Amino acid sequence: MTKEMLQNCGKCGLCLNACPVYKLLKEEQASPRAKLQLIKAYDNNTLASSALLKEIVSKCLMCGSCTANCPSGIDHYSKFMEMRKKMVEDQGETPAIKSLIYLLAREYRIKFGANLARAGQKILPDSFAENYKLGNIPLNNFPTLNTTPFRKASDTIILPDKKQVGTVLYFTGCATNYLYDDTGFATIGILKHMGYKIIIPEDQTCCSIPLLFHGAADKAFKNITTNINAFKNHDVDAVLVDCSTCGEALKNEYPRLIENQGQNPFDTKKIASKVMDILSFIDQHFDRLEFDSTLVEKLSVTYHAPCHTKNNFGAHIIAENLIKKLPFLTYKRTPDFDECCGGGGTFFYEYPDVSKKMVDKKIENAKAVRATYWLTDCPVCRMNLAGNLNNNDNLQVLHPVTIIHSALKQI
Amino acid sequence: MLDNQVKNELIQIIGKDRYLDRPEELACYAYDAFLVESEPEAVIFPETTKEVSDILKTASKFKIPVTGRGAGTSVCGAPVPIKHGIVLCFSKMDKIIEVNTRDRYIIVQPGVVNADVQKALAPFKFFYPPDPASMSTSTIGGNIAQNAGGPRCLKYGVTIDYVLGMEVVLASGDIIRFGSKNVKDVTGYKLSSLFCGSEGTLGIITEAILKVLPMPETVKTLMVTFDDLDNTAKAVTDIIGSGIIPVAMELMDNLTLNAIEDVANLGLDRNAAGSLIIEIDGVKEACEKEMKQIIDKVRKNGAIHVQEATSDLEREKLWTARRSAYGVFAKLAPDIISEDVTVPVSKVPLMIRKIIEITDKYGLKVGVLAHAGDGNMHPMIPADRANKEEWKKVETAFSEIFQAAAELDGTLSGEHGIGLAKSAYLPLVMNKNTIEFMKKIKQAIDPDSILNPGKFV
Ligand SMILES: Cc1cc2nc3c(=O)[nH]c(=O)nc-3n(C[C@H](O)[C@H](O)[C@H](O)COP(=O)(O)OP(=O)(O)OC[C@H]3O[C@@H](n4cnc5c(N)ncnc54)[C@H](O)[C@@H]3O)c2cc1C
Ligand code: SF4
Ligand code: SF4
Repeated sequence: MTKEMLQNCGKCGLCLNACPVYKLLKEEQASPRAKLQLIKAYDNNTLASSALLKEIVSKCLMCGSCTANCPSGIDHYSKFMEMRKKMVEDQGETPAIKSLIYLLAREYRIKFGANLARAGQKILPDSFAENYKLGNIPLNNFPTLNTTPFRKASDTIILPDKKQVGTVLYFTGCATNYLYDDTGFATIGILKHMGYKIIIPEDQTCCSIPLLFHGAADKAFKNITTNINAFKNHDVDAVLVDCSTCGEALKNEYPRLIENQGQNPFDTKKIASKVMDILSFIDQHFDRLEFDSTLVEKLSVTYHAPCHTKNNFGAHIIAENLIKKLPFLTYKRTPDFDECCGGGGTFFYEYPDVSKKMVDKKIENAKAVRATYWLTDCPVCRMNLAGNLNNNDNLQVLHPVTIIHSALKQI
Repeated sequence: MLDNQVKNELIQIIGKDRYLDRPEELACYAYDAFLVESEPEAVIFPETTKEVSDILKTASKFKIPVTGRGAGTSVCGAPVPIKHGIVLCFSKMDKIIEVNTRDRYIIVQPGVVNADVQKALAPFKFFYPPDPASMSTSTIGGNIAQNAGGPRCLKYGVTIDYVLGMEVVLASGDIIRFGSKNVKDVTGYKLSSLFCGSEGTLGIITEAILKVLPMPETVKTLMVTFDDLDNTAKAVTDIIGSGIIPVAMELMDNLTLNAIEDVANLGLDRNAAGSLIIEIDGVKEACEKEMKQIIDKVRKNGAIHVQEATSDLEREKLWTARRSAYGVFAKLAPDIISEDVTVPVSKVPLMIRKIIEITDKYGLKVGVLAHAGDGNMHPMIPADRANKEEWKKVETAFSEIFQAAAELDGTLSGEHGIGLAKSAYLPLVMNKNTIEFMKKIKQAIDPDSILNPGKFV
């Protein structure tokens, strides 16, 4: 019996209420179980391809909550990605998503897009800018681009502030590189402070998760090979990510894809075994941190656990505990701290109505605890949460590393 | 597809947004967790009793089948619209109307998920005892229609013991209300008994008043393993016989333990022939005393490993193992068939032996999972439906298991219900007159048989 056959959905329904889209829409067709049933019907030729079928299977945040709650060990990601690919082939892709894929497929194009934007022009090609109302997010609520891409602004090899205790590789991801360099600089600052030598391989590029999610597997494969080549020849203690979606790619998706292509997965698996999210890494070496003892007034913070942190690393509890441990913070948990914000890659743009309802609920709860900072370790969540806040909400969204870095004792 | 006239009339009632009939959508309401599938012609999401009533008026005028649906977690095909027609899906009729812990009740709409009832009560330190393993997803409407039970019903009883009152819409569209907010109420027939377990064949539940209880002060949980399956069952009989009624006594046999461990990695004992999760609750001192007695008894009955959960996390881990059992079995083969025959507690050892004997005879794998304290067993057979020969064996094995249970004064179903899965076996446990009597009741309230037709009545 093949593995594929063994991976049969028992239709138990335990994934229904784990799924943020089902929980909001309360219709079976929005559920992970239904998606699997429809995929099966399509594969068995009992259901024809259609625009609606494409919509139903793509109305998904690729958040992994279904997989995390499925006792039968269904690999939803692979099934969904495979189906999305077929649907794009059958039904085509919207111009906006096409442009996005075009951009992310090659590093120089992202740079090109970014340069255009900096020159006061549109961030994205015409069709994109026009249609891409960017979901619910007003354009001026979007983060401005880094003046210089992070990897260009920082060295490739960075030495620690104190006696070296180890070496780490840093996979910076597109968001840190082009949008949120504060995350990047803070990450470096903390690692230096802890005594780590940091290597930021120059050739790294987009992790390709957005491409995979939109069925552009071939384009993704080029990026994946580039990244593996950039990371494989270093002997390090850890491969760190500041975005758990990139982490998911490096840890789970790369080995699977490489194996599926019939290639030797040795290097990929070696890298995968060392992948760790930055917050878990900081937590593991917490005793290496020295805080500025002159900080007296505590800052009040709350935390949004990104789905990919929760479902792929199980690290949201670690992150939360780390935040609680920090002496200069008062942590206020919201009742829905680990529920999806509705960002989900491009979900906020493709399904703005659904997304808006999710994010508004999160914002309401976050405002109710009256925190000053809203910490989250995923750039898409950050963009989505910050983008939907009003100016007078007095809540600033940050990656936890930024606030940790700012409280370190100067050496 | 429904006739245009009918469709228009229904859309008049419900609006376009809550009426689905495109093929891609209908395909999603053809199944539950059982094997048989059949598509409806329309899916409607009512939000009020009035809407339900109006829909049923239209449906009875045109004699269109109407099948209720909660979350579709039934394991007997109960919500599968075998005669097509309309699926009335309650997932959006999901308001909690009143929480009143002073008078110990909660009023809910049918689409409220069981776990959300628990969540609403938790801040008041109250709980709703029926706890089907599907509680994170299954709805109160579905729970009532199936008279759902769960692990802790050994001590606390099943859904019917907690339904104080209900609002039901009949096939004609007439709305009836019975019961009240009072725990004691003997005014007229006990109509809730009629609708609890009726599997949506007698009326559509639109509201329920449920009895709730204060949370016990202490909960203690124990996991015991045995190297002889018979000892497991003997320990159960011995403990209950001595006057201790635990909240739950959950039995898992070797194949089940290993299947769970393969997936969930919880550190379960792979070599044990069987294990029991025993939970007690109540006042702290009483629990401690009972726990000691239980440990004595299991040791006397040959327990090889006794592990008491020392934290909430450990407790949760034990229960996670139990809750994931069903889904895990689905992974062993393309299909799974799980039944829930029930026998008197003292006959549990005999029944387990019977099940193993029967499945051995046909060369089938079987995992036995049981709410051992009330004799409710779940033999689960993983198999491949595409393999005609194997499937035939599965069907024969189950009919022999039903037969064996009937011979031990048992019954077909302890909690899952009859649905499409077991209607053929009813005569094993009911005589002709009794089946006729049920048919008469059905005919009296649903003369055109529009409510969930094609099922056991
Ligand atoms: C993993 C798993 C574990 C399970 N564990 C248990 C368990 O421990 N104990 C147990 O008893 N069962 C268990 N079940 C079976 C199932 O969960 C229960 O029968 C549950 O009560 C079904 O609820 P539902 O909301 O999913 O209803 P559905 O499956 O959607 O419907 C069940 C029946 O209820 C009817 N119905 C639904 N809503 C209404 C309404 N408003 N008015 C009238 N009729 C209605 C439907 O027509 C159908 O006949 C389990 C199932 C699974 C998949
Ligand atoms: S939890 Fe897994 S097995 Fe159960 S319905 Fe969802 S995908 Fe299927
Ligand atoms: S990945 Fe997330 S949004 Fe998509 S089906 Fe699974 S739980 Fe739902």
